[in-house]
Parts: sequence; C-alpha cells; structure tokens
Amino acid sequence: MEEQINTNIKSYLSFKLGEEVFAAGVKNVLNILEMVKITEVPKAPDYMKGVINLRGAVLPVIDTRIKFGMEESEFTKDTCIVVCEVDQDGEEVKVGAIVDAVKEVIEIDDKDILPPPGIGNKYKSEFITGVIHLDEQFILKLDMNKVFSTDELVMLQNNQNETNNE
Amino acid sequence: MKKRILIVDDSESIREVLSFTLENAGYDVLAGVDGEDAQKYLNGEPIALVITDLHMPNKDGIGFIKDVRAHEDYKRVPILFLTTESQTAKKMEAKSAGATGWIVKPFVPQKLLAAINKVVR
Amino acid sequence: MDQFKQKFKEEATDLINDLEEALLLLEQNPNDKDIVERVFRAMHSLKGGGAMFGFDHVSEFTHHLETIYDLVREDKFLVSADLLTITLESVDHIKDLLFSDEITKEIENNHSVLITKLSTLATNDVGKAATPIENQDNTASTQKSFYVFFKPNPDVFENGTNPLYLLDELCELGESRIISHSENIPLLDDLKESNSYLYWEVIIVTDQELNAIGDVFLFVEDDCELEITQVAEGNLLADEKVIRYLADIEKESKVVDIQKLEREISKNKENKTEQGSKESTGTDTSVISSIRVASDKIDTLMNLVSELVTTQARLSLFTEQQEDAELDAIGENIQKLSRQLRDNAFSISLIPLQSIITRFQRLVRDLSNGLGKKINFKTEGTETELDKTIIENLTDPILHIIRTSIDHGIEDVQTRINSGKPEEGTILLRSFYSGTNVFIQIIDDGKGLDHEKIRQKAIEKNLISESTQLSKKEVFDLIFMAGFSTAKEVTDVSGRGVGMDVVKRKISAIRGDVEVDSEPGEGTTITIKLPLTLSIIDGLLVRVGVTDFIVPLSAVQKIYAVNKSEIIDNYTHTVVLDEKQTPFHNMREFFTIDKEMPDTVQVLVVTYEEQSVGIVVDYVVGEYQAVIKPLGKHYKDQEFISGATILGDGSVALVLDTNKIIKQSAEEV
Repeated sequence: MEEQINTNIKSYLSFKLGEEVFAAGVKNVLNILEMVKITEVPKAPDYMKGVINLRGAVLPVIDTRIKFGMEESEFTKDTCIVVCEVDQDGEEVKVGAIVDAVKEVIEIDDKDILPPPGIGNKYKSEFITGVIHLDEQFILKLDMNKVFSTDELVMLQNNQNETNNE
Repeated sequence: MKKRILIVDDSESIREVLSFTLENAGYDVLAGVDGEDAQKYLNGEPIALVITDLHMPNKDGIGFIKDVRAHEDYKRVPILFLTTESQTAKKMEAKSAGATGWIVKPFVPQKLLAAINKVVR
Repeated sequence: MDQFKQKFKEEATDLINDLEEALLLLEQNPNDKDIVERVFRAMHSLKGGGAMFGFDHVSEFTHHLETIYDLVREDKFLVSADLLTITLESVDHIKDLLFSDEITKEIENNHSVLITKLSTLATNDVGKAATPIENQDNTASTQKSFYVFFKPNPDVFENGTNPLYLLDELCELGESRIISHSENIPLLDDLKESNSYLYWEVIIVTDQELNAIGDVFLFVEDDCELEITQVAEGNLLADEKVIRYLADIEKESKVVDIQKLEREISKNKENKTEQGSKESTGTDTSVISSIRVASDKIDTLMNLVSELVTTQARLSLFTEQQEDAELDAIGENIQKLSRQLRDNAFSISLIPLQSIITRFQRLVRDLSNGLGKKINFKTEGTETELDKTIIENLTDPILHIIRTSIDHGIEDVQTRINSGKPEEGTILLRSFYSGTNVFIQIIDDGKGLDHEKIRQKAIEKNLISESTQLSKKEVFDLIFMAGFSTAKEVTDVSGRGVGMDVVKRKISAIRGDVEVDSEPGEGTTITIKLPLTLSIIDGLLVRVGVTDFIVPLSAVQKIYAVNKSEIIDNYTHTVVLDEKQTPFHNMREFFTIDKEMPDTVQVLVVTYEEQSVGIVVDYVVGEYQAVIKPLGKHYKDQEFISGATILGDGSVALVLDTNKIIKQSAEEV
C-alpha cells in the first residue's frame, strides 16, 4: 500500500464520466478548455480522438470514456477538455482528456483516502490509487501517468473481471 | 538631472561596455544599433553627447553625424566617434561631417571617460 | 566585466569562424584583396576586443598575425601555403587561449612556437621587423614646464567643441597659469554669438610628456592655432620673476615672449607634437549585426506568434461580419503585421547549413594534407535551412562521417592513378528538401565499401551468424551497429573510439535516420534524413472528408481533376493522366473515411521511388505556408503524418509524408 497515514492535504480536480466521479491531482492539471473542433488523426486507436490547437502547440486529445471502456462521449455543453501534463518515460507530455463535466477542486488529506478496493472492482486497480469518500459519494483517484500513457494497449476496464490480488 | 549620452554601435558588446561604463559614471544612456536605428532618438529631447561608431550597416557613422548636425536641436551637441584607425583621412572625414572628436578602440573605461571629459563637463 | 567577457567570447567565436572561412577561401583565391581584407578585419576585431575585455594574450598574439596580414594587404607579403598553415594553426591557438579553462604548458609552448614562426615568416620574406612594439613610455617622470598657445578658430563651436573644457583638462595635468586674451572681441554690433573670439596662453608645469599636452588638443588641432613648447626642466612657476613677468603681460594685454622666458632657463628640447598609438587601419564593417538570444526565448516567441496568427484569423472573420470600414482597415493592418511578424520569427529560429560548413572544410584540408591525399571538398545546397538545435547536433556526426571518408574512403594519389581515377578525390556534401524531410548526403568517390568484408567482420564480431542471409542494404547497415568499429582500424584519423554507431545514435536523437550506399571502386554515399520539425514548408492544403491535410508542395508535380467514377471500385488502382497510366492511392480508402465522395476529386501526382504516383484527395483548398509542429508521442505509430500545423481559423491540419503514405498504402493493398 502506497498511501501513508499523515496529515498531507492535497488538491484534486474531480470530474464526471457517465455516473462515475474521478479525481486527478491538480499538479497534473494545466487547464480546462471548452470543447473545440478536434482534428481527427486517421488510423489511430478509437480513444485517440485527434488533435487540437493549444495556444499554438498541437495537443493530442483522448476520449476518456472510450479509454475507460465506456461508451463514446456524446458532447454536451458541459463536456470539456482537461489539459494534463503526465510523465511519460521521464518526459513531460501534455495531453487533453475529454470528460463529461468538471465538478470542482477538492482538498483531501492523504489519510482520508481509502485504499482501492481489490476484489470485484470494475476498474483495474493499477490505475486507481485510492477511493475518496466525500458527501455520500465515492470518488476514484486516478494515477494520471498510467492512465494517459502512450501505450495503446492500456485499457482501464477490467474486462476479464479477473481477480486482482492486491 | 542626469546627462544623456546617445551611443550608436552595431556591436552588442561594445554597446554594453559603453553603457556600463557611462551609466556607472552617472550618465543616462540611449543606445542605437546603427545610424538608421538611432534616428529615433533625435526627437528634440536633450542629449549631452553622441558617441557613434563609423562602420555600421544601414547608415554609417559619417551619415549619422551629418544627420545630428543637420538637426536644429543638436547643432552644437558634441559628437565623438569610435575608430580603430590612425589614418587621418577617416578622422578628417568625420570631423568635416561635424564630429567633435574621437575615441580610439580598444579603449579602457578611463580612456573613454577622458575623451568624454574633453567635450562634456 | 564578466558579462562582457562572455559576450565577447561569443562574438569572438563568430569572428574565428569567419576568419577560418575566409582563410580557406583565401587558399583558393590567394590574390583576392577582398578576402585579405576580410581576414584582416576579423583579426583586427579579435585583437581590439581581446585588449578591451582583458584577453591580453589573445590581443598580443593576434597582433602578430595582424602585422603580417597588414603587409599582405599592402602587397608586401605573399599569401603562401606556409603562411596559411601557420595562420590556421594560430587560429586554433586563439581558440585555445579564449576557451581553455586554464592555460596549460602545452598552450604556452604553442604560444611561443607560433610567435617565433610568425616573426620568422615576417622577417624572412620582407626583411622587416615583424612586430612593431606598442607605445614606449619609459621616460622618467620629472617635472617640466611647457608654454601653450591656444587660439581656436572662430567657428570652433560648430563641431560641438567647448574650448574651456580643454583648458580645464590641460590644467588638470599640473600646476598652471592661464593668460586669457579677449582683445579680439569685436564691438557688439559685429559680434557673432556663435563665434569664438578668445585665445589663451598657458604655462603648465607637469610630469607629463609633450605628447600628453598635445593629446588635450587632439580633437581640435586642425581647428585652431596651437603651439606647445617645452620651455624648461623643472617648475617655472616656482620662479618669482616668471610669475611677475606673466602678471605684467596680462595687465598690458601683451603676448608672452618665449625667447625671453627661455633665456631664463635651459635649452628647449623637441618641439614636434606626435600622435599616440600606432593603430592600424582596418574596418569593423560587419555585414549583419547580430545579437544572441537564448533558444527558449525563441520557442516562446514562436508560440506567441502562432497564437497571434490564430487570434488574427479570428479577428478577420469577425471584421468581415461587422461591415465596418474602419474596423476593416485596422484588421487588414493587423493581418499584414502579424504575417510579417510570423515570417520574421520563423526566420529567426532557422539557420542555414552553411553556418557549419567551415569546420568541415577545415577538417578536409588538415586531414588530407596529413595523409598525403588530394581531396576536393564541394558543397551543394548549403543554403538549406534547419532548426538551430538540429544544426548544432549535426556537426559532430557529419565531422565523423567526413573523417571516415577521408581516412578509409578516398585512396591516396598513387592508388587513384593506378585505378584510373582522377588523382584528386572528391567529397561532396549536399543538402536538399524532399517531402517533409531534409536530406544531407556525404558522397565520396573513394574505394567504396566491401560488402563481403563487412559481412565477414560482422560474423567475426558475432553480430550476425554465418548463415544469416542479408540484403546489400542490410549488410551496409551493419556498420552502424555498436561494436562493429574496432581497435584494429584505429588510426590517427577515424579511430578515437567512436564508430558509425555513435553517428547513428546522435542522428536518431534528433529524430533523423542515416543510411549508407556504396559501390566498390566507385565510392560511398551516406544519407542523413531529418524530419522538418519546427520548420516551415510551402504546402498544399487539401481536404479529405472533414479533415484538412497539408501536402508539401515540393512533393507535388501536378494536380488533376478526375471524376469519382474513375476512382471508385477501380481495382487496378491506376488512372490515365495525360495519357499515362498512373497508379493511385485513394486517401479516403487509406484513412477509411466512408462518407460520400464528391463527384469530382483531385489527384496529386507525386514522385515516389522515381515514379509518378497519384494521391487522391477530395479537393485542393490552396497553397498554405505551414509551420510544422510535432504531433507528439501519442501518435508515434501514425508514421505517415509528419506533423501538424495550425490553420488561420485556429484549427489543426495534419502534414502528410507522401512517401510513407504510398509505401504503407501499397503494403495494405
């Protein structure tokens, strides 16, 4: 278990995908964009939605729902792109993640983060580093570096429903 | 008020060493990269001294000296030019264009200030 | 002062590069006065700057060089191979002096050896002392008394001179007595306020030499009557008789009678004013003045410019809708400005390959001389521009390739004659754009690579097994494998423990590729292929489905409009264009875009492996100058896309690599 008991308060951005709420460390989040026109890149995996212009630079955009094994996003006025900076083989890589809605920034003490449930969980535990119980709701804390890795084989959902021995 | 000196030289290091020396000696410094660029400072604001290089792209020092002299507000402003030449021809050309004197490169700060001392007090 | 030193070092690097380049040119054209002038100028600036920024040894050393080239300028000295060799060695030495952390014994020795060589050279050939020595100032400092007569011309003010400042400066030299003469001032009606009517006589007692007094009037000596005479050793003003005499003169508005003064004192010595230092001629005309900027600032600038262009495009769109003439005019102006700014910013981050050529020329010259080989180094297309960081990382690999080529490729003169080749070998460095890549080739006409020998050696080194079947290209690729180069072939030249594997690694690091091709007996060609990252290309903006793509204009030969019926369900995948059967690749198929195709589609004809091949797109929008941006790691598998660019409306278009598309598409069919 990587979480330790101390009073270390960190900020997280929470966002919605379908009915599920996830949290990403704000240190990974650069900014939040409204949906813009995405240029599709041919012959790329489905979840690689395309590229957009981020202030003159080209930013790859991932459809987080597909990546997480949910149905493809239908864009609404709440849909937005969370621009994250993740560590990829020691290199900082920027990537945009399409989410259904951004909720809020929450401050959570490390000691209030519960270990990820091992058995019977819908998502592979290597991507979920913890569970936050807040206002009658369970928020899944994500390992952004792993989730947005360039490795296209990584799928979040535990399709085989296999047992993870934590 | 501090006296203002306009320096014109295409070499960045010369400009920097001039500015550094002059600012430490208590002057305000305006800097232009060539005769063309320095025109923007000939705007009627008081200038106590002009120091210009002779060999510059766009507009050389001789041309610039003439411009300064032709300007109603700077008819009497002392002008020193930077030169590496002992040839009197070039000096004469600059003088007849209206220069007051010259500074021989390379110079050390004392030498520079000594030359300035001849024309500005 | 340190920051100036640093700046000077940077400038000196440019000067040294320029100097080297000019010297190599001079070798080709020893009588070209302009080149001599350029050499001299660079030396002169190095000397001057060196002295100014505290690199005295550089200044002193360069002075020796400059002296010789001054003679060359005056046709008193001939440009010889010897001279150039020593000069180039000297240039290396100057680099050592400037950039070594400490002055080692070796550098010191080199210093004196080179100075001796230079001096000998200068003396032998012209029978002239090599080094005029700078100002000699060794007179003992004792007080002397001088008489100064100073009468400025009436128009002295016109050059900005103030005679009073000069008198002030004069008085600072020592103890003085000034007699002002105002008797020439006219009546008020005749007085011109811009004229000077005064003159002065000064007795000054100082430990300075006559020169120093002359220096006070340096700027005005042609605009005044000036007389400076040493009238006595010792302090004349300590003599009461003299003081009284001067007071009388002033009262009576008379002029000092020097003879009378002199009678009081000992003899007069020299009386000629001489001017200061022996500054040599030479100009500092640099064609382009430049400044240095940290490259991250350029990156920021580029990003800001792109953003500006995007914003501008939005503004254009908005102004169109407003139908306001004034807003239109402003919008147009901003469009013009941002375009200029964009072009300018781009040109800043690109530098031509030419900027690193000198080092290669130098290497060829030095090595071929050392090995007794004759080599002509030629260049083509060095105006090709590349991003600065790429250029920086290219120098070493290219140096190594050339080194290897000289050492192992080009044969010695005798061998070449025996095999019926011209005795002078050739190394050609050529560069060109193709598609979205820049190619740099190093081509020699040497003995070429022995394909079988490489195979054998690779087997020896356990890189491949006896039974491995390899194509010619695969065999050549072996030389890029780590562990292929061995100590066995370490020579002075290409040894040094680096092999072609390092070349490969370094080029990969800048996302490039390197290939070798060779014909035994005919020579070797090494091709470096680099992506056009952070570069601008002239592109053709095309559309397939809803997506915009850029095809490099240089790749496109011709564009044809074709009815979709000729494309759809065409199993031969060829179409007749200008009566020629042309194979085509339909981008809709390739990209699996299944929307309805327009009735008329367009075929871009490009060259692929020396054949004309068609690329079918929906339609061509127009030409577009594209700044290529990397697509990032997430799309590393989409190799046929070499990057992306931002369009005027802020959306992104993808840049296609036609070669890769055709290759991949052909494999899929």
